[in-house]
Amino acid sequence: MEDERSFLDICGGPLTLRRRYYSSYCREFGLSSARLSLRSVTAVTCTVWLVAYGLFTLFENSMILSSAIFITILGLLGYLHFVKIDQETLLIIDSLGIQMTSSYASGKESTTFIEMDKVKDVIVNEAIYMQKVIYYLCILLKDPVKPHEISQVVPVFQSTKPRLDCLIEVYRSCQEILARQKATSASP
Amino acid sequence: MVENSLTPLPERAIYGFVLFLSSQFGFRLFLVWAFVPESWLNSLGLTFWPQKYWAVALPVYLLIAVLMGYTTMLKNQEQKNHQEDAIPALRDIPISEVNKMFFLEAKELYTQNCV
Repeated sequence: MEDERSFLDICGGPLTLRRRYYSSYCREFGLSSARLSLRSVTAVTCTVWLVAYGLFTLFENSMILSSAIFITILGLLGYLHFVKIDQETLLIIDSLGIQMTSSYASGKESTTFIEMDKVKDVIVNEAIYMQKVIYYLCILLKDPVKPHEISQVVPVFQSTKPRLDCLIEVYRSCQEILARQKATSASP
Repeated sequence: MVENSLTPLPERAIYGFVLFLSSQFGFRLFLVWAFVPESWLNSLGLTFWPQKYWAVALPVYLLIAVLMGYTTMLKNQEQKNHQEDAIPALRDIPISEVNKMFFLEAKELYTQNCV
């Protein structure tokens, strides 16, 4: 079962939440943000080249122009490969663990997996982010040796930064699975 | 301080050393001011000091204040142990329960409270 809804992120940009219910104990949430727009690319390129042309007329050195071209190309490639995250996915499997995937615009994907033994809870927490207070979803980790202490806090959806309505949906689904998992683990 | 552990960190060493230096400097300045005669200090050009009376008065004031503090605190402590139905100490509600209350159970309650 799959459905898609559109939400907003904290800056007002459009987001798409794609939910997949593979079964009653395995769910996946994919948040895709807007792709890199042609407008912003052309704006940045034109600014960089205008500045380079201004420096060229000042210094009469043609290396400035060629270095501006290189900087633009390398900067765009680096941005697409290291910075611009197109989609973030959260896959939660009861009794196995939680997996977070970030796919960059150049196709690179980075994955993090957390075992279910280490997961204490998934909560929606508030944070002060520059001049705003935002909500973010985070996973509380516990040390299996000391199950009543929180050892680490792992925030998810860090680049797409959805708003509270989207986070509540993901939170409710995760809590259903975690409640089932706690019930099955409490009654051996 | 977030942790109350006794680990020797470099920052703590620096704090300790700064405290040591400043306390030594303050103490020696106090001794100089208390013992060196006014005429010598004036000849050096340092004229704007408080009266030497305070070199004796301030320590006496502090000692009496500490003793009075001890007596009043101990008297208050005796009285405080007798209150059993007082307001309990502050506690933090765990974030999981706060989340469950807000987002899982009563969605209508939350929106009503907002309006």
